[in-house]
Amino acid sequence: MRDQISSGWLGRLMTVFKKELRDHTRDRRSLLLALIYPMLGPLLVAVGLSIAGKTLQGDFRAQFITIPVIGLDHAPALRDHLQANNIRFMAAPDDKEAAVRDGRVPVVMIVPQSARGQDRFTVELITNLGRVDNLKVTARLLRTISAYNEMIAEQKARDAGLAEGYGVPIKIKRTNVARDANIAVFFYNMIPPLVIFMIFLGGVHLAIDTTVGERERGSLEPLLLAPVERWVLLLAKSGAAFVFTAITTLVNLAAFRLFMGAAVTASERLVAPPGWDVFAMAFVVAVPLMMIAVALQMSVAVITRSMKEAQIYLGLLPLIPALPGMVMVFSPMNPTDLNVAVPVLGQMLLINQLVSEQALDLGHVLIATTSTTLSAALIFLLAAKWFRREKMFVLG
Amino acid sequence: MSYGSVGNRCDVRLMIEIENLTKSFELVQALNGLSLSAHDGRVTGLIGPNGAGKTTAFRIIYGLLVADQGRALVDGVDVAQNRMLAQRQLGVLPDVRGLYSRLTAREHIRYFGQLHGAEGAALEADIDELVERLGMADFADRLAKGFSRGQELKVALGRAMVHRPKNLILDEPTNGLDVMSSRAVRALILEMKADGHCILLSSHIMSEVSALCDHLVFVSEGRAVATGTPDELRAQAGVDDLEEVFVRVLGKHVDQGEATP
Repeated sequence: MRDQISSGWLGRLMTVFKKELRDHTRDRRSLLLALIYPMLGPLLVAVGLSIAGKTLQGDFRAQFITIPVIGLDHAPALRDHLQANNIRFMAAPDDKEAAVRDGRVPVVMIVPQSARGQDRFTVELITNLGRVDNLKVTARLLRTISAYNEMIAEQKARDAGLAEGYGVPIKIKRTNVARDANIAVFFYNMIPPLVIFMIFLGGVHLAIDTTVGERERGSLEPLLLAPVERWVLLLAKSGAAFVFTAITTLVNLAAFRLFMGAAVTASERLVAPPGWDVFAMAFVVAVPLMMIAVALQMSVAVITRSMKEAQIYLGLLPLIPALPGMVMVFSPMNPTDLNVAVPVLGQMLLINQLVSEQALDLGHVLIATTSTTLSAALIFLLAAKWFRREKMFVLG
Repeated sequence: MSYGSVGNRCDVRLMIEIENLTKSFELVQALNGLSLSAHDGRVTGLIGPNGAGKTTAFRIIYGLLVADQGRALVDGVDVAQNRMLAQRQLGVLPDVRGLYSRLTAREHIRYFGQLHGAEGAALEADIDELVERLGMADFADRLAKGFSRGQELKVALGRAMVHRPKNLILDEPTNGLDVMSSRAVRALILEMKADGHCILLSSHIMSEVSALCDHLVFVSEGRAVATGTPDELRAQAGVDDLEEVFVRVLGKHVDQGEATP
C-alpha cells in the first residue's frame, strides 16, 4: 500500500478543482468567454452613451434648428417669435409626409392661408414620433409655439382689462429632480440586466465541458473509477465554473465602469457613472447570484444527453433572470423585505439600487444573500443527486 | 522491475469475484446470473460476442453500475457497499480511453495519482518510473491532443497503474493498436501477472487470449456458458484452435437459446 495517503475529501476536491482550472485556462473558448465577451456589452452601451452625449452636447435650446415650413408668411408674428427663439426656416419638400416618414426632415409646419390677419388659427405639424431625433426637434417647436400662445393670451387678457394671468389660468412650472442629462442615467440602468446576463453566461462553457462534455468524450468514466465521492467531483467542477463566472463578472463590471467613464468624459452634459466603489459593491452583492447561476448550469448540464442539448438549454438560461431586469429598466421596482427574498430578483433589485447610487439596506442585503445562497445550495444538491444516476456515466 | 509487485500481500481473498450478477437496462437484460472469479497471479479472460455483457460486468466491478441482483467483490470488499475502498484496489483500462486533450501525459498520471491520495516526491518518482516502463519519455510532457492510439493507451495504462493497484481490469487492451504496440502491451500484461497481480481482461483477438490467459470465461447473453483453462476448453470442444472453441461453444449456446421457448 502507498505510504502517503490523504484521505480527506477536501484534498480530492482541491485536486479536481485545480485540474479543471488548469485544463480550462488552456482552453481558448473558456478564456474568450471569461475575458473578451464580458467587454462587448459594456463597449456597445458605452458607444450608445457616447453618441447620446454628442447629441446633447451644449445647450440644445441655444442651438439653431431649421424647420421646413409652408405658409409661415401668413402668420408673421409667430414667425418672428420662432426666429427669436433660434428657429430658422426652409422650404418644405413636395412629398412632405413621405419626407418626414423617411426621416429626411424632422417635421413640417403648415400655416394655412386662412391664418392671414387672424388672431386664432390652426397650425398643422407633420411629425414622425417613431424617431428619437425627430422627437427632440418636434418637442422644441411645440414648446416654442406654446410659449407664443401663452404670450398672446396674456396680451389679449390685458387688452381686455382682465387681471394678470387670466388668459392662462394654469401655468406649469416643472422641477426635474432627476440628475442632469438623465439620458446617461437611462444607460446606467441597463447595467444590472446586462451584468446578470453575463453572470449566467460566464461559467456555462465550463459547466457543460466538465460534465456532459466529459461524458461525451469518454473521459468521465475513467474519472469515476477514481475513489472520489460523486458530490465532491461535482462541487469541484462547480467551483471551477464559479471562478470563471466571477472573473467574467469582474471583467464585465470593470469594463462598464471604464468604458462608460470614458464615454462621459467626452461630453459636458452627461453625468458620470457611479464610482468604482459602487461597482466593487455590486460584485460582492452578486456573489450569491454567481452561485445560483453555476448551480443551475450544473443541474441542467448533468441531465442533458449531449453537449448540443446542454448548449441549447443553457443558452436560454440567461434570458430568464435578465428579463425582469429589462422590465425594471422601464418600470422600476423598489426593494422590500418580501421581494428581495425572491432568489435572483433580490440581487437584481440591490444592484439596481447601487447603480442608482442609493444606499443599500443591510437587512435587504442579508435577506437576499441568504435566500439566493440557500436556493443555490438546494439546486446543487439536486444536481449532485442527478450526477449519481447511472445514465450520467455510461457512454452509449 | 519492482513496480506494483504484490508478492508480500497478506489479504485472505486477493481477487475479483462476481456472484450471480443480473442487470437490466429498460428492456435489455444485460447480465443474467453471471458468476466468475479471477485469481492473483493469473490472467482471466472474459470472452464473448459484442453485447454479451462483458462491459456491464466490468462496470459493476469497478463501481460505475449497481447490479440488480448478486454482488461483486474486490479483494473481499463488496463494491456496492464500499465503492471507494474497492476502487483503491483496482486499476482499470476502460474500452474508451478518454484523455483530456489539454493535459500532458504526465499531468494525466499525476492527476489520477493525486485522486488516489498520492502526493509529493513519492508520486513524482512513481510517475517517472511509469513513464520509463511504458516507454512514454518522448511524449510525456506533450498535450494529449493528437496522440496516436498507442500513445493514448500508454497514458491510460499509466493512469490505471499509478496507485499500484492489486487488481487490473483491461477492456480490449490492444484494440486499435499496431503490431509493435500490441506486443508491448502483451509483454506488460505478462510482467504484471508475474508480479502477482490479478488481471481480468476482455478481448476479441483469440490469438491474444490464447497467449495471455490462464483461465477463460465464455459469456453469452449475460451469463457464463463455459469456463476453464484454454487447454481444458480445447479438450472439451475437441479442437485445437481457440477461435473454433469460441465458435462452437457460443454457437451451441445460441442454438439452445433459440430452441428454448
